[in-house]
Amino acid sequence: MTATTTSPAAVGEVPSFDVTLRIRRYDPDAATPEAFWEEFTVSAHGTDRVLDAMHKVKWDLDGSLTFRRSCAHGICGSDAMRINGRNRLACKTLLKDLDPSKPITIEPIKGLPVVKDLVVDMEPFFASYREVMPFLIAGKNAPTKERLQSAEERARFDDTTKCILCAACTTSCPVFWTDGQYFGPAAIVNAHRFIFDSRDEGAAQRLEILNDKEGVWRCRTTFNCTDACPRGIEVTKAIAEVKKAMITRAF
Amino acid sequence: MATTSPTLAAPRSPRRSGRGTTRGNLELYGWVFMRVSGALLIVLVFTHLFMNLVVGDGVKAIDFGFVAGKWADPVWQVWDLLILWLAMIHGTNGMRTIINDYATRTGTRLTLTGLLYLAFTVIVVLGTLVIFTFDPCPPGAPADVLASFCTAG
Amino acid sequence: MQIHQYDVVIVGAGGAGMRAALESSQRTRTAVISKLYPTRSHTGAAQGGMCAALANVEEDNWEWHTFDTVKGGDYLVDQDAAEIMAKEAIDAVLDLEKMGLPFNRTPEGKIDQRRFGGHTRNHGEAAVRRACYAADRTGHMILQTLYQQCVKNDVQFFNEYYVLDLLLDTDLTAAKKPRKGAPVRCSGVVAYDLATGEIHVFHAKSVVLATGGSGKIFKTTSNAHTLTGDGMALALRRGIPLEDMEFFQFHPTGLAGLGILLSEAARGEGGILRNGEGERFMERYAPTIKDLAPRDIVARSMANEVREGRGAGPHKDYVLLDLTHLEPEHIEAKLPDITEFARTYLGIEPFTEPVPVYPTAHYAMGGVPTTISTEVLRSNTDVVQGLFAAGEVACVSVHGSNRLGTNSLLDINVFGRRAGIAAAEYATGADWVEMPQDAAAYVVDELERIRTAPAGEKVGDLRKALQETMDANAQVFRTAESLQRALDVIDDLRARYQSISVQDKGRSFNTDLLEAVELGFLLDLARVVVVGALAREESRGGHFREDFPTRDDEGFMHHTMAYAVATKDGDTAIRLDKKPVTVTRYQPMERKY
Repeated sequence: MTATTTSPAAVGEVPSFDVTLRIRRYDPDAATPEAFWEEFTVSAHGTDRVLDAMHKVKWDLDGSLTFRRSCAHGICGSDAMRINGRNRLACKTLLKDLDPSKPITIEPIKGLPVVKDLVVDMEPFFASYREVMPFLIAGKNAPTKERLQSAEERARFDDTTKCILCAACTTSCPVFWTDGQYFGPAAIVNAHRFIFDSRDEGAAQRLEILNDKEGVWRCRTTFNCTDACPRGIEVTKAIAEVKKAMITRAF
Repeated sequence: MATTSPTLAAPRSPRRSGRGTTRGNLELYGWVFMRVSGALLIVLVFTHLFMNLVVGDGVKAIDFGFVAGKWADPVWQVWDLLILWLAMIHGTNGMRTIINDYATRTGTRLTLTGLLYLAFTVIVVLGTLVIFTFDPCPPGAPADVLASFCTAG
Repeated sequence: MQIHQYDVVIVGAGGAGMRAALESSQRTRTAVISKLYPTRSHTGAAQGGMCAALANVEEDNWEWHTFDTVKGGDYLVDQDAAEIMAKEAIDAVLDLEKMGLPFNRTPEGKIDQRRFGGHTRNHGEAAVRRACYAADRTGHMILQTLYQQCVKNDVQFFNEYYVLDLLLDTDLTAAKKPRKGAPVRCSGVVAYDLATGEIHVFHAKSVVLATGGSGKIFKTTSNAHTLTGDGMALALRRGIPLEDMEFFQFHPTGLAGLGILLSEAARGEGGILRNGEGERFMERYAPTIKDLAPRDIVARSMANEVREGRGAGPHKDYVLLDLTHLEPEHIEAKLPDITEFARTYLGIEPFTEPVPVYPTAHYAMGGVPTTISTEVLRSNTDVVQGLFAAGEVACVSVHGSNRLGTNSLLDINVFGRRAGIAAAEYATGADWVEMPQDAAAYVVDELERIRTAPAGEKVGDLRKALQETMDANAQVFRTAESLQRALDVIDDLRARYQSISVQDKGRSFNTDLLEAVELGFLLDLARVVVVGALAREESRGGHFREDFPTRDDEGFMHHTMAYAVATKDGDTAIRLDKKPVTVTRYQPMERKY
């Protein structure tokens, strides 16, 4: 295999190189469904992402390779997967940043049931999200025009509005891996987004929900979620802020 | 009206019925207890180390008599009891977490956790007994190892 | 096979679909069918803002907004529709704020507004601050906010279900059309559950199409892989015309070579386009509003710079978006995402280096023709009862031949809302239309044929050939020759598609099979685009013919209506018709900026 990744050349002069993907496969329709590893080698360019290489496999080598993807630039949150042992979006991970001289391992995100190849059942994840009441709860007598909110009040929860619900954080959390009932970082992030919104009046209810046995107190600040977040949200910090709000309320 | 008889299938994303919420702040207090006691433990342990290893003749002064002397004082009894209990709680909790993370098979996990709790109970009970039933002046012991107050009377 | 019955079925869960669902589900029993999880929809990729004449930061009114929309669309806009959109824009923005959308704020705490391409004060005097925004992720916030409201209102979703057929009570593809005024009604849709491979028939009184665009007919595009024009193609195949499909918007600032969108807000916040010689070339093409000219003009100017050898880079094949003169804190606050795109995908630091950009296929101005109440038209005057469309899939037409930036987010909110209300109201008053006995037969047969076909043509090969020919021949610059070349390739690909085959023969999560189906949609739509472009021998908005470089109001001041009609050999042909443009206040003028 010839991995010829030179220094990032100017756009338009991208060297091509071969890259091997080591992909965790699982076919539920097989006679005896069993997960296994399969390797594919494709040629790639300097600006190619892991998703591009996977598309080459799907479109040129093996059409049965199954994964979710949509926008292909890190906005829709479809293609979170475990790449070289870390949760990332395949469309936001450049091959050249991964040392393409070694096979790149690609597995489904951990902790959710695998449906096929890299596709997992997202329903438990979204169920946790729905449970934290992720919507504005505001008084009935809204003004005719917009509610006023200062730029500072708006900035207070800016970080957590960036969430794209890709599940990279929740499925990187060791607590979630062993306790699938844990709300998980993503649900807490989305509760945080409203708890700290000056227009919202439902903070008490949300804090009550997250005070649950499976709520924020399960978090043990391993920072896996912050590392995994493709949107750069400081997830662990957000969780800590929710904890702090609860403690302030209790004492 | 329709001639077909519609079978109304359940939608694929049903709301989860909720995971038995625990009312009250039990989890919160547990969390706060671990933080506060952790901070307390640091103070306890380092003061303990300082008293034993640095003050006076330092480490050279430690002998049976030294220990006996400390445990004759109720303050140090409570002090060491707290260290024992808190260190065991924190240590056991950490071990429990590690077991949960790495023992994937239910059987292994239950066995290891069981052993852990057994060890916790044995050590805590034994240690507590020792602290409170400790005799600083065992009869028949050579006088040079005993604390000064044993021979004073 | 399962059969479901709902008063309203909404196809697609992007901005338009969910906005419609919020209205409809409060009035009647509603289901939303989406081939993606709702939050994956491409509304979330929209960046810059949503225009409404709130006049929060400077004088503005909806009439100016209407004028800009009409002029931006090169007078092919139906002016009654544009007026409705500009008027209802204000409430649409306020509604979103009340739903909790975190707009950026002015120092007084009101919704902040910024400049955007083609939006001007007092009929073109100068750029106006009209776009309400949330950093450069306005679309993301809209999508999330609408989904949040759907969660709140317990809207019923069928996620990862592909709608593959539209059920009408009359065959519109037959040579003999139903007479004028005859009722044609929609009775539901047929969907495919990706997870299990099972067919679900949805019997409905009202169906709302909100499936989004078809950008994947092009290679270089800002569109998601899933934007394959499903709703448009389904309508076309069932004999419903498509309107103005030759007008496709190319967004000026896609990351060079990748097509990833960099918002027009970059220029709204002060970014400048420069050619290889460092010249601010837009001064030559649009002396008044320069870099903030409408997208068709900027894209064409950029392509022209490159064509005339003034491009940047080793191959002189792109131009540069220069943000280096702006304060890094300002960029970080207002444009955090797009600067990150430049860093992630091109390794370029926008604070210190200009970013390579080139036009990227972005938005279908055309689509399923609708009335201003979002009812789908089957001819110039008759509607299909119980069928509605909103968003990019539809053509009202508020965008004419070129959509102004931010007007798509507006479109989905204004007409999504209207569609939800109209569909629910129709369903409340209407009777159930009987479905055909073998409603799902066509879909079942077609899927089974492709799934079990012996090794033949590969999806990837055909799609690549299609996208490459569209990029080469039907992009910013078009001629009769280039379009004919594209049409020849498409015809050939359509023939080869007959022997399409897939490698994945399974039933669960067979994305291979669905990509093959989607390729069929793309081929059908690309043909309509090219046939329409060939016939339109003028240049207007997003459609530029080098062999006919000027606008021809005498010959072409009309909408194109493209019908698929069955031919004797079992195939279909595209028949073009005209539809008059609705003109209320503004007579066509020369379009200068």
